[in-house]
Amino acid sequence: MSVLALERVSKRFDEVLAVDDLSFSVEPGTVFGFLGGNGAGKTTSLRMVLDIIRPTSGRIEVLGRAPGRANASQVGFLPEERGLYRQMTALDTIAYFGRLKGMTRSDARREGASLLDRFGLAANSRSSVDKLSKGMAQKVQLATAIVNRPKLLILDEPFSGLDPVNQGLLENEIRRMSADGATVVFSTHVMQHAERLCDRLLLLAKGAKRFEGTLEDARAELPARLELVARNDPSTLAGVVSAEDRGEAEPGWRRWDVRLSPGVAPGDVLERCVDEQFALRRFEQRHASLHDVFVHLVGHAETAR
Amino acid sequence: MTNILIIAAREFRQIAAMRSFWLTLLIIPLSMAIGGVTPKLVHKDEPDRVMVIDRSGGSEARAIAQRFALDHNRDVLTELSRYVQRRHLEGADRKALWSQHDRWYSDLDVARFIAAGGVASATARIDLVKQKDTPSYEAPLPDVEIVPVPASLAAQPDARLDEALKLVLKPAARDAKPVDYVVLIPTGFGASPLVRLWANRQPSQRVVGTIEDVLTRDLRTRYLSAQGMSARAALHASNIAPALSISTPPPGGGARESMLVRSILPLAIAYLLMISLTLSGSWMLQGTVEERSNKLLETVLACVSPEELMYGKLLGTAGIGLFMIAVWIGCALFAAYATQGAIADFIRPALAPLSSVGTIIAMIYFFVAGYVVIAILFLAIGAMSDSMRDAQGYLMPVLLMILLPISILMQAVLGGNTGGVLMEVLTWVPIWTPFAVLARLGLGIPTWEVIGSAILLAAFAALEIVLLGRLFRASLLAQGQRPSLAEVLSRMRAVPN
Repeated sequence: MSVLALERVSKRFDEVLAVDDLSFSVEPGTVFGFLGGNGAGKTTSLRMVLDIIRPTSGRIEVLGRAPGRANASQVGFLPEERGLYRQMTALDTIAYFGRLKGMTRSDARREGASLLDRFGLAANSRSSVDKLSKGMAQKVQLATAIVNRPKLLILDEPFSGLDPVNQGLLENEIRRMSADGATVVFSTHVMQHAERLCDRLLLLAKGAKRFEGTLEDARAELPARLELVARNDPSTLAGVVSAEDRGEAEPGWRRWDVRLSPGVAPGDVLERCVDEQFALRRFEQRHASLHDVFVHLVGHAETAR
Repeated sequence: MTNILIIAAREFRQIAAMRSFWLTLLIIPLSMAIGGVTPKLVHKDEPDRVMVIDRSGGSEARAIAQRFALDHNRDVLTELSRYVQRRHLEGADRKALWSQHDRWYSDLDVARFIAAGGVASATARIDLVKQKDTPSYEAPLPDVEIVPVPASLAAQPDARLDEALKLVLKPAARDAKPVDYVVLIPTGFGASPLVRLWANRQPSQRVVGTIEDVLTRDLRTRYLSAQGMSARAALHASNIAPALSISTPPPGGGARESMLVRSILPLAIAYLLMISLTLSGSWMLQGTVEERSNKLLETVLACVSPEELMYGKLLGTAGIGLFMIAVWIGCALFAAYATQGAIADFIRPALAPLSSVGTIIAMIYFFVAGYVVIAILFLAIGAMSDSMRDAQGYLMPVLLMILLPISILMQAVLGGNTGGVLMEVLTWVPIWTPFAVLARLGLGIPTWEVIGSAILLAAFAALEIVLLGRLFRASLLAQGQRPSLAEVLSRMRAVPN
């Protein structure tokens, strides 16, 4: 059973179609990346999953149920725009959100204290939030999202505004939660984080799905590229779309940037080189980055938004 | 329901953690206590020192001294009578003057009181019947002390008195007691009405009035004698005074005062509702604005519904308001029953309406309903504002709209005015209903008006919860500029799907 499933979900704000006929599902234990530029509809989609706003049409299922506060005890959420009650202590803040997620007072405080200890804030548990540094407050915010050990953790642009130390801490927590069997859905427009963390990805542009699959699937969306060092021009080989001369590598040998036709595997080209005795000193397959895939699928205009 | 209570508890704790909350909470009891102590602080411990230089033979000086003594003894007797009345000690001697509270004590009464042994004799009898913990009667100190005229001053001719009295009225030595008033009765007093008075400050009406009264009577007596009336008849004519019988519903003055005292509690509840609502509503508003400006709402709304958030906030704020009221009422009850001062004398009869179950129910209903009706307005303002500056834009007109007519209403009630168009209008317009009905409860309001306005108020509260609840929900995550009136109305119409 999917932990999260959206079926033909749309959301319209007056004249603006923020989410357009979106369908996808997330399986248990997956780290699911929700990628898109600013205004792509990521936050709106996540808010609908959390029942903060309701879809105009379509169906959403969270942990086998309709979205709603009944799921709160099993869901963790870290919004993009984060804040805390400035006058509350760090521990009280975490315990408060734990209580709102159905935990008992003692469980919420115990788990809150344990998280603060793990994040190196045990000594600050009784400090009010306005006395914490920004980095410390970010850790407290993360703790409020995971205090209930959620089955489904939803993170909206979780890395934005985090210092490098806290980015590392968050990555570790995502991996830890995933290893413990939780499902993590996070939205981001920073492709490196998605590449490092996600099992599956969904690319969103102007509210509509442009791609869903694994990282490898995403890379396969772009034609493969090779870096060759050869005596002759490889553009004559079958399956090669173009070959760009990048200059001399050594006397008599030149470096080539080769683009293959869609669907042509680099191994097939290597086989042909051997069959045709095409002289090679170097044959290197270049993986497309997720950024390249994103630009390819979504377009420059979208990334620039 | 659990979430509502958790949110309410957090709201309560957040407000209770504010210094301004505790300062405000203590200001009212403190001001009441200061109000009780102030008369003692401002009361002069030292009596006014009066010197009478009587060059007409000494009879005028004696008459003035006797009159001050008589007035002081009248004060002593009057206070003793009030002491006996408040503590129901008439059983000590039902025939004694101090057991008769429905009269103005005449000069003759005072003379009889003194002749019967004065305070010493009265307190001896009272001590036999009063409870051990009942405080003893303490007679007021005299307002005036007659000081003798030094021989050196008596020998001074009238023309030099101005110079000679300078050091008497304002002595150079720091520890020397000044004489506050010096009265010169010239040799020819009677033939001429001229009397001179020196004072070291603005003369007190009571001192000057007494001196003037004594001398006026003497002048009248002299005049009547000169007209051929016998000296005895002339003296009698000058001293003729009415015997005043006074009806005194306990413990104050006339019937209107009694009504006012009984209306104090409902009026005070209306006033406290106004104060606690304004304060706790403002704190709640700050909290809601903080949640919006600190980007907290999305996190909260992932766990609770907007309705739970709204009800939790209302409950928490109402809790703060009721806590404030409870503390103030507790202080009042303490002052009423644990102290014996003027505050206690005022508060005890004011608690009289609590003997009526209907009044108690009405007071609680209108207080709670008033809280809901007004607090939800604050909440909606908070949900629409990104900053306190934004909120002030809505808050000031709303506060003025609520408080201005109420201030006028309370003045009218204190003035004993229970009727009029304004009173009726305020009673039937729901945002003013709680204040108007509470204020009118003590002075009398027809039962049908209480029930009718209560039903209207309940209907209005229900409608307000629906409409402002929609506005609250729709405004929580809305961003951008302050919504226009059209936008506000549109949010109220938006039915949550």
